[in-house]
Amino acid sequence: MASSHGPTRRALGRFARNGAALAGIGVIVPMLLLVATYPFWLQDGPNSVDLMARNAAPTMRHWLGTDGVGRDVLARLLQGGRTSLLVATLSVSLSLVIGFLIGAVATFGGRWADTTSMRFVDLAMTLPPVILLLVLASIIGTGIGPTVWVIALLSWPVLARMVRARLLEVREQDFVVAARGMGAGTLHLLFRHGLPNSIDILVVYATLQIANAILLEAGLSFLGLGIPPPAASWGNMMNAAQSTVVLEHYVWQWMSPGAALVLAVLAINFIGDGLRDAFDPRSGLS
Amino acid sequence: MLRRTLTGLALSTTLLAGACFALPAAAQDARTITGAFDVGPGGMPGNFNPLSATAGFTWLNLYFEPLVIYDAALEKIVGALASSYEVSGDQLTYTFRLAEAKWHDGKPFTAEDVRFTFDLAKNAASGSNFAARLTSVASVTATDARTVVVKLSAPNSGLLDTLTKVMMLPAHALSAMPVADLARNAWWSTTPIGTGPFRFTRYANGQFVSLAANPDYRGGAPKVDRVVNRYFENTAGAVAALRSGEIQFTYVEADDVANFKDDKAFRVIEGNSYVVNYIGFNQEVPLWKDARVRKALMYAIDRGQIIKALYGGAAVPANCGYVAPAFVPAGIDTYAYDPAKARALLADAGWAKINGDKPITLLTYYNTPLAGNVMAAVQAMLAQVGINVVPRTVDVPTYNATVYAATPDWNAFPLVYAGLQNGPDPSIINIGLNEKQLPPAGANIMRVRMPSLSAAFDTALGETDAAKRPSRYQDVCKAMNESLPWATLWVTARYGVASTKLNDFVWVPAPAGGPYEAHPEHWSITR
Amino acid sequence: MPRTLRYALRRLLVGGAMLLGLSVLVFLLLRAAPGDPVDAYVNPSVAMSPADLTALRVRFGLDRPLPVQYLAWLAAAVTGDLGYSLQGTGDPVLPLVFSRLGPTVLLMGAGIALAIILGIAGGVAGAVRRNGAVDIGLSVIAFLGISSPAFLTALVGLYAFSVRLRIAPSGGMLTPGAPFAFGDLLAHLVLPALLLSIGHTALIMRYTRASMLEVLSADFVRTARSKGVPEFVVVARHALRNALLPVVTLIGSTIGIAIGGAVFIESVFNWPGMGLLMVTAVRARDYPVIMGAALIIGAFVIVLNLLTDLAYAVVDPRIKVG
Repeated sequence: MASSHGPTRRALGRFARNGAALAGIGVIVPMLLLVATYPFWLQDGPNSVDLMARNAAPTMRHWLGTDGVGRDVLARLLQGGRTSLLVATLSVSLSLVIGFLIGAVATFGGRWADTTSMRFVDLAMTLPPVILLLVLASIIGTGIGPTVWVIALLSWPVLARMVRARLLEVREQDFVVAARGMGAGTLHLLFRHGLPNSIDILVVYATLQIANAILLEAGLSFLGLGIPPPAASWGNMMNAAQSTVVLEHYVWQWMSPGAALVLAVLAINFIGDGLRDAFDPRSGLS
Repeated sequence: MLRRTLTGLALSTTLLAGACFALPAAAQDARTITGAFDVGPGGMPGNFNPLSATAGFTWLNLYFEPLVIYDAALEKIVGALASSYEVSGDQLTYTFRLAEAKWHDGKPFTAEDVRFTFDLAKNAASGSNFAARLTSVASVTATDARTVVVKLSAPNSGLLDTLTKVMMLPAHALSAMPVADLARNAWWSTTPIGTGPFRFTRYANGQFVSLAANPDYRGGAPKVDRVVNRYFENTAGAVAALRSGEIQFTYVEADDVANFKDDKAFRVIEGNSYVVNYIGFNQEVPLWKDARVRKALMYAIDRGQIIKALYGGAAVPANCGYVAPAFVPAGIDTYAYDPAKARALLADAGWAKINGDKPITLLTYYNTPLAGNVMAAVQAMLAQVGINVVPRTVDVPTYNATVYAATPDWNAFPLVYAGLQNGPDPSIINIGLNEKQLPPAGANIMRVRMPSLSAAFDTALGETDAAKRPSRYQDVCKAMNESLPWATLWVTARYGVASTKLNDFVWVPAPAGGPYEAHPEHWSITR
Repeated sequence: MPRTLRYALRRLLVGGAMLLGLSVLVFLLLRAAPGDPVDAYVNPSVAMSPADLTALRVRFGLDRPLPVQYLAWLAAAVTGDLGYSLQGTGDPVLPLVFSRLGPTVLLMGAGIALAIILGIAGGVAGAVRRNGAVDIGLSVIAFLGISSPAFLTALVGLYAFSVRLRIAPSGGMLTPGAPFAFGDLLAHLVLPALLLSIGHTALIMRYTRASMLEVLSADFVRTARSKGVPEFVVVARHALRNALLPVVTLIGSTIGIAIGGAVFIESVFNWPGMGLLMVTAVRARDYPVIMGAALIIGAFVIVLNLLTDLAYAVVDPRIKVG
């Protein structure tokens, strides 16, 4: 006898059986907790400069050692985690909103709106991402806000396409045709039928994109854009590895943010994959 | 079928990969010197027109030569293509006697070439950067094939310093070209003709430039056959190439020197950067009107500790725009680190009312990790006395656009962390501090309007008696030290690292790359 | 087939319009960025007066009104003249961009080729010995590869293989000054291509493994096995061919993204490709080079998309074009 649970319950069940996804949650949740609560249990702040203790190797006093001006690496790591995760989450949320709205306009706005917005999406995707990245970042500047915008503006076209494809499917479904026949307005269609039926692709996209955004922020900081010091971010902490002295002798300074980033991105990727498999076990590869 | 294809593919890939790794990493000619001559602040990669160069003179000097040049200690100006020179008593006439030299295409170097070069250098339409500095040159005449007389309309003590950078150009090759076409012409990067010990062979865009020995050089045939200048996107790449033995020389950042100090295969070269680093007060921002606030900032920063910890001791604290002993009078205030005094001064001035702990932007264009550390240390020290600065690093175009804007937003740069070249000729910082040099006339971006300081500069620049000049500049130093238009911090050393395989190799971290007497014809390399 | 031809022509026209839109977009973005080429040219530590800067601006044509500047650029661009670089000796843009495209294509091509070979090999190995030591090991490496930031892998790789082990050159495309040798080129190519391929290898490996697992449990495979066909032949001949289909689609989309250049790898290894060209051009606010590069890359992407769509139409007759 087949299970009589609803699709969401079944999806959750599949997720719960996915070892990798659970491992991902097992990594991310403690990470978030550590990052959120560190001022309560860590005595050093991320910006306490102490020139006398610079470049110290990990000891009991500084568990992950100190950086070039004597700031505690663990404190900067956790503060950097806040920054990097915040930037990633905010930028993804922003690109979700933009992508969904544009995809929605394309689907429900009529033929002309569809053509123009899809041409616009094509245009945005034709623009070489490198140029867009560098020029946008030069225009908008550095810092959390600007970086959020740069990453969001890079990522929304893909989502807009996905949303449009899904909403086109939804639009042809019986209940939607019926609703329109009864005179339902566009907004009602969009938010009552469109949005709930796109949640699965939105959630999967968002999760995987957060991982991507973390990597992107790191790359931006390497190029001198992104989050500039003295604010801590995983990206600008790893920038120190450009100096061969740091690369060779002060390994903890760049390996800690590197390891934290890899761990976070891995875990989020597992969760995202798990969610995708959970929502559609056949989707697997496409 | 598929299996065989796959196997074949796998096999060939492995073989190929193996072959690559088996090849020597760099098969180099024993008589070639390869270096990263345009890495670092003194370099200007990709620029081959010496008239429009603002840096990169070290490399240009390998195949072009000026009339006069600095010695390797950057103290005296000696003759290069001019075997000797005389200055008249009223300092209005300079007579240059030219050395016997030949251009790379065999034609002789004559006074006509000198006259031609002066014309080009004075003409801004040719792309010359020197036009503004040569306005006092009234006439240039070739009295015979080997003598040139330059007449000035007014004495200019900086003329010889300017001439060290003006490379002589061949009239016979360039006079036919329209002046406006010269600035960015393919000639410079394909077939330039100079008189130097090496001649230009090849430029691979974005990668390297190579020169070949000029056996007819007047100083003797060079000991090596070729010199190659490799371009690197950043210093880290150059350092990696140096350590893997692919190049024999590069500029290195101060914090990379530790890797080479104890390595017998390398020689660390240290020199004066001739750039004074300072925190500039934007005089248009009311925060800094009270001199007590400016002094407080100087007292609050422990320059000694930053120099020791972050620069490894390789910097000299600056209490005015100069650190050369000749220009620093005895008895000026050394603003020794005293946070208590700083707090007292701030309280006296009423800092709490003026600003309190509102954040103040500290704008800078220095983006190396070392500079980042310095800014963090400065921020921490200032926070301790109650000045809340927020460092903001931007790229060079953004910085220049902000400070040189026609109608600037003063609150975008209330403070800057910057550097200005302060030597070898001390008059050079006038452009940043004299009230007459307010933009658009000059580069006084901090809008410094201090009458005593401007007067001191004017006197020093107009001083015709060479013996009295040092004391005039000491007066300038004193004025700067008292009125603090800038919180002058330090002058750092700059470093290069050369392989010990190089013999008789001379390199000086001169501002803009010099030029200076490097005698590249003597450089040699042991296997 | 006139219908396909009409479709292609229509797509090209639309593509041309998109290129126009692209150029306007890039032009506006560039002008919105703080600082212009003259600001980028001036070294702040060497004082220059704004009067000198204004003279430079006039020489570069930056004092003209914006629409005039754009239209002048456009007028020249349609005749094939993309202007001259504002950096250094002012190399003409079109030959400059094309001279950088070659190395980028070479690097990306080598990276993708490596990724395909290593990825498929790894995926097959993992699927055949599912959950064995090899499988788990490869999966771990694959995951690490996808999750690591490119520049860090590049820096560490450069340090490990070039500085420490001295088995790879430390950057550049050829040994400077030496006559061109194919072996020299390959030696310089191996390390950056390898590092570049890590992310793609991991992805292809995962997809191949998943696809192989699915196919290996299919009916026709079981049939082959029950007929006594040796395992290796089952894998190589029957399973692989079917498993590769979705992977081919993946490879196709990977190539599409590739044309912009691998900025981080090129930056760390000083590989003279498009990525490095654009980084230096944006830093120097070199408007002609950026506009030219954007246009050329955009054109490539549009043509590539068109060719791919046409290819699908040819391959799958169910797809209607036009």
